[in-house]
Amino acid sequence: MLKIIKVTGESLSPLFFPGDYVLIRKYIFLFGSISEGDIVVFTHPSYGLMIKEVHWANSDLQQIHVTGSHPLSVDSSKIGPIASADILGKVIWHIKKPRHST
Amino acid sequence: MFYKFVQSVDKYLSFFEAKAHCDVPCGIYDPSPAQINALTVVRMMDLMISLEQGEEKGRLEYHNTLSRYITVKEEHAEKAKHEIRVIWGDYIKDTHLEKFPELTGLVHKIMQLGSKSRQTCNRDDGVAFVDAINQFAEIFWATKNIKTKKAKAPYAPGLEMVYPDL
Repeated sequence: MLKIIKVTGESLSPLFFPGDYVLIRKYIFLFGSISEGDIVVFTHPSYGLMIKEVHWANSDLQQIHVTGSHPLSVDSSKIGPIASADILGKVIWHIKKPRHST
Repeated sequence: MFYKFVQSVDKYLSFFEAKAHCDVPCGIYDPSPAQINALTVVRMMDLMISLEQGEEKGRLEYHNTLSRYITVKEEHAEKAKHEIRVIWGDYIKDTHLEKFPELTGLVHKIMQLGSKSRQTCNRDDGVAFVDAINQFAEIFWATKNIKTKKAKAPYAPGLEMVYPDL
C-alpha cells in the first residue's frame, strides 16, 4: 500500500530536491484517482523509475501527461504519455532533506 | 529529525530511487560550478586555520564554528567531484580523449585530491585541487574551441582561476 522512494535529479525543484524522500500510496486507482498537480512515481520504458507532476490526464486515465517544474526539465512530449498501469503510486507525504545555508 | 530517521532506514533497506530528470542530455555543461566549489574548500581551510589561531579556541562557539567550516568543506569537495564526474561521464567523448589523452589521469587526480581535501586540512592539497580543476576547465573549453584566460578570483581566497574568454 505504502512505499518510500528517494528522489534524485533536479527537475522538480524547487518543490523537490535530490535526497528528498516521498511516501507514495500504491493502487491509487482502487482508492481514488489522480488529477492535475499530483506528484506521481511511475516506470518509464526507457528511463526507469521517475517522479513527475501530473500535467493533465484524459477522462478515463488511459493517458497521463507529466511534467517537471524546473525550467531545464524535459517537457512531457519527450517523455510521452504514461499508461495508468505504469503508475507506481501517488505522493502523499514529502520528507524534505534539510536545506543547508552557509 | 524524521528525515534522519528515514535516511538511516534507507541505509539498511536501500529504498528505490525515482529520477526527477530523465537523462536526456540537455547539452549544458560548464566546469565553473566545480571551480567555485573547489575554491570554497580552500576558503574553508583558511577559515579553519584562522580560527585555530584565534582566542576562541576550546570554547563552545569555537567548536560550533569549526564544525560548520568542516561541514561546508566536506560538502563542497564532494560537489566539485560530482560536477567533474558529470562532465566526464556525460560530455567527454572518445574524440576528446584522443585529442587530450591526459584527461583520464587528470580526472583521477581530481577525485583523489577532492578526497584528500576532505580527509585533511592541508591547504596545499586544497590548492592542488583547485589547480587540477582549472586544468580540467582549460581542456573542457578547448574541446569547444573557446579560448581561456587566467585571472584571480574576485573573492577570497583569490586564487588564480581559468575563465572562458568569451
